Amino acid sequence: MSNAIEVRELLYQVKTFEIRDFTLNVPSGSIYGFLGPNGCGKTTTIQLLLGLRRARGGSISVLGHAVPRGVTRVLARTGYVPEHPHLYPNLTVDESLQYHAAFYPGWDRDRAKGMLSRFDLRGSQAVGRLSKGETGKLLVLVALAQMPELLVLDEPTDGLDPVVRRDVMTALLDYVSEHKATVFVSSHLVHELERACDWIGVMDRGRMVVEMPMQSFKRGIKRLRFTQPPALTQETPFEVLSRSAAESTGLGEEWLVSGWEPAMAQALESGSGALREIVDMDLEESFVALLSRSRASLS
Amino acid sequence: MFKAIVYTQWRWSRLLVLAGTVTAFALPIMSVQGLNVLGEAAPWTARDILEHAESRSVWYAVLAGVLGLLLATTVWHSDHRGRHQYALSLPVPRWQFVMQRFGAGAVLLGAPVLAFAAGCLLAAASLTLPDGLQTYPVALSLRFALAAFVAYGVFFAISAATVRTAAYVLALVGAVLATQVLLEAAHIEIDLLGTFYERASYWPGPAEIFTGRWTLIDV
Repeated sequence: MSNAIEVRELLYQVKTFEIRDFTLNVPSGSIYGFLGPNGCGKTTTIQLLLGLRRARGGSISVLGHAVPRGVTRVLARTGYVPEHPHLYPNLTVDESLQYHAAFYPGWDRDRAKGMLSRFDLRGSQAVGRLSKGETGKLLVLVALAQMPELLVLDEPTDGLDPVVRRDVMTALLDYVSEHKATVFVSSHLVHELERACDWIGVMDRGRMVVEMPMQSFKRGIKRLRFTQPPALTQETPFEVLSRSAAESTGLGEEWLVSGWEPAMAQALESGSGALREIVDMDLEESFVALLSRSRASLS
Repeated sequence: MFKAIVYTQWRWSRLLVLAGTVTAFALPIMSVQGLNVLGEAAPWTARDILEHAESRSVWYAVLAGVLGLLLATTVWHSDHRGRHQYALSLPVPRWQFVMQRFGAGAVLLGAPVLAFAAGCLLAAASLTLPDGLQTYPVALSLRFALAAFVAYGVFFAISAATVRTAAYVLALVGAVLATQVLLEAAHIEIDLLGTFYERASYWPGPAEIFTGRWTLIDV
């Protein structure tokens, strides 16, 4: 499988913030969730991918073109929904669509018209007077009507109410299933990504903490409850992210592990340990655990 | 694409363009209107007419400069507000986008320039001048057009720059002024401002077009 986005050894520095040794692989046709806490560098990374900022080192390739050299060709095939609305506020919705359409030869007028009524947007309304939800919908409309091969979405549903959020996500997923487009979506709304994404990358403090298929991510991170914890050795086949005394009973230990496989339970039982329970974790718990681990190792 | 850019530019600048067009049309007519009225009451000598025409001429240059300045600042206003994210995310090379923005503003500047030419022609046609004096509506219109486009070009370049660059330009101007004050306080006869003015205002300085004769009526 080829990658729609490939980043190698990216280096970007500005004042006190830096992105260093950053590597990213977004497989073509995937929905890639880009997770990270606020201020970790997600938006900056996206802006680097689209040539809106210049990296100091490393390489970026998007849809087979090097960025920033081939950025114009990248942008022609990419739908971008920025974190902050970028459309001109003093144009009406219709005027904004006409202006945007002029730059994209593949612009689908019928789709734009259809989405306008689906999203219940009025063409005569000034963009600057739209509500937050309406603006979010317009940005998604604009990105989808240009018929992109790649969608880059920076917190597309941040601050939207649940109804609008569902409308936006449905429109995006409809488009992706129809056109097999690649989606790179950044968010800190973990549950939203959990439902939609098939790949996940976690960024923290300008570094990529982990990048893997969503299923592996969800399957591989577990909470293990021991009445008698086993001894950790070099050969332990999983990584212990954290260990603590059992919360409920105070007896035994709880381990948070990654790289877990079901067959490992038997191996633990046959050793010195007494495994009481294996608890599945949702994405948010896994995300928080990974960040804590990453920060502990950095400090 | 250019049409779309011109349209957005029109949406942002239409009041300015309309007001500029009306003013540019009216200014040459108004500047000779008084001349005719006065001429009927008491015949004017050629010298009086020339002096009268010259006294009005400064307003032509001012109008050209102001139009160029105001139009140039409105060109980038919306992009500055959005920190240029929108323009940069469009699939157009940056130089091409800048040129198209420049071109769109220049197209709109054409309206007051043409209105000024029409005003000059109408004003010239309405005048009856004594022997030895002539009207120069075409030459004045060309001068006005050139001055307006020079002002537009200069201020377009300045307003396209980042806030930091604008701060550098202001700091440079401030430094020149401060140096001049210090030189004068120390009784050192170096005229920095005068030199700067001469360099800018005389050929090949960019402001040369604003100096010289702007009169509609001349010998």
